Amino acid sequence: MTDATAATHERTGPAWLKPNLWWLVLPAILFIILFFLIPVISLFLSSFDKAMPGQITFQGNFSLDNYERIFTKSLYYMAIWRSVWIGAVVSAACLIIGYPLAFIIARTLKPGTATLLTILVLSSMQLDMVIRLYGLMVLMGDKGLINSGLMALGIISEPLPLMYNAFGVIVGLVQVTLPFMVLSLIGAIRSINPSLEEAARSLGSTRWHVMRTITWPLSLPGVYAGTLLVFALAISSYVVPALMGGWKVITLPIHIYQQIAEVGRWQFGAAIAAILFITSLFAMGLYILALRRNAGGRV
Amino acid sequence: MEDVNPIPFTFRVIAAVALLVLLVPVGIVVLAGLNSGEYLTFPPEGFSLRWIRNFFVSPTFLPAFKLSFGLALATTLISTFLGTLASIFLTRSTSRSKEFLRAIFFLPVVLPGVVLGIALYVFFIWSNIGLARSLTGLIIGHVLVTMPFVIATVTASLVDLDLSVEEAARSLGASPIQAFTKVTLPLIAPGISAGSIFAFIVSFGQFELTLFLSTPNLQTLPLAIYSSLRYAFEPTAAAAGIFAICLVTVSTLISTRLSNLKKLLSRR
Repeated sequence: MTDATAATHERTGPAWLKPNLWWLVLPAILFIILFFLIPVISLFLSSFDKAMPGQITFQGNFSLDNYERIFTKSLYYMAIWRSVWIGAVVSAACLIIGYPLAFIIARTLKPGTATLLTILVLSSMQLDMVIRLYGLMVLMGDKGLINSGLMALGIISEPLPLMYNAFGVIVGLVQVTLPFMVLSLIGAIRSINPSLEEAARSLGSTRWHVMRTITWPLSLPGVYAGTLLVFALAISSYVVPALMGGWKVITLPIHIYQQIAEVGRWQFGAAIAAILFITSLFAMGLYILALRRNAGGRV
Repeated sequence: MEDVNPIPFTFRVIAAVALLVLLVPVGIVVLAGLNSGEYLTFPPEGFSLRWIRNFFVSPTFLPAFKLSFGLALATTLISTFLGTLASIFLTRSTSRSKEFLRAIFFLPVVLPGVVLGIALYVFFIWSNIGLARSLTGLIIGHVLVTMPFVIATVTASLVDLDLSVEEAARSLGASPIQAFTKVTLPLIAPGISAGSIFAFIVSFGQFELTLFLSTPNLQTLPLAIYSSLRYAFEPTAAAAGIFAICLVTVSTLISTRLSNLKKLLSRR
């Protein structure tokens, strides 16, 4: 790189920055290699090792036993299926209630209102997940606010089963993932030129017709992106099924935790983790593709 | 002008529902922490500060809050340092490997927390270098998941920076280090601060990773609240939650002031 000519200098910035720039990124790279790539790769390699309860060493005898076990025991493949359908329902629910909110934020003409709404969405995302679940549990428990309120008003005589079932898990996951959906949609809706909608309206279309034929199709990249992101987050959540499902709704992350922390079969847990990761990576890959298309190659 | 395409009524109603879903749980935690009864019932029993007082004498929640705070602080310092340096490289290097590096740096957030947690847990035990169940091990895990946020924010502020001011300083005789610290650093300082606040918030609320790396004597606030929720609804946990909510709200307000919120959103 000694022939850093004036031409390349113009295009890429000062030449003095070029030769010794690698030392800047080196500490971060070493950190990532040592504490991220090596642990994660060895975890996945270990999923092909024989499961030896309580032993954290590499045997080195390659086998597909762990994976075979997952796909032959209904306990495990049912958990994959359960995780996936819960993730799908959560994505759909987030889309249905998140789209109008994102639309309003993207289309509000007063900047103050839009910023306030955005901050509300962002701040709810940044608050500790467990604290928000506490609120939901106080609201939805058997003696919770909803049940005690409805019973005080004489509408029901028995508490409704709102929690410790799939319904509770879904509500909890929607609460936790909704901001991600809204944020993905805001960008997509903002990139639609409002004059397209105005033109259709002035030509006599109804609001719903405009929404269905113009706004919705043009916002599809954001819809795909948000849905896949929410799906990936939902299937990999441990704390929500643990608290809102009360260990009655056993999803993949709960199996992983039990295998590793309670049974000590960590090679088997690693195999479940690999399956969870591949599922969510697949969703995230599609997410990034959708985002690229949405941003027109800018991301 | 405003009635050309008004927002449909149904949309307003559903958006209100969405906001309720987001905000009601937070409101309930505050109510539960300030309620005078043992359990928040309908109608609420009355206002009292007894749970707040309990928080300050609690053998679990106050130490957990302090641990979370210290952990988040240490994490923030390290990930801001590593992340800022990496961001400078990512915005200025002409190397073709930088896109690949950027992707690698973002991987820890893409990987499910449970998977990253067990990968680190197994690695720490297996490698036997004294990191298993230690504070250092926890900090390492938290730096992994907070660094991407620092890199994203700092990179955004560096991209907008006009490099010619730095070149001007250089042509006037400043050394590279001087030009950077006296000209560039003050200009991107808001971005760095915003990134470090993001890192602090992410670390403070980190649950799934912490679950695998902590021990009973290394309980962070989310873990302490989680274990109290599994067995009973201790209102002291809600009081602890109030303090966490205040901390995060203040941090969020500062970070949105520092970083241009709109720009960050339109970029991504």
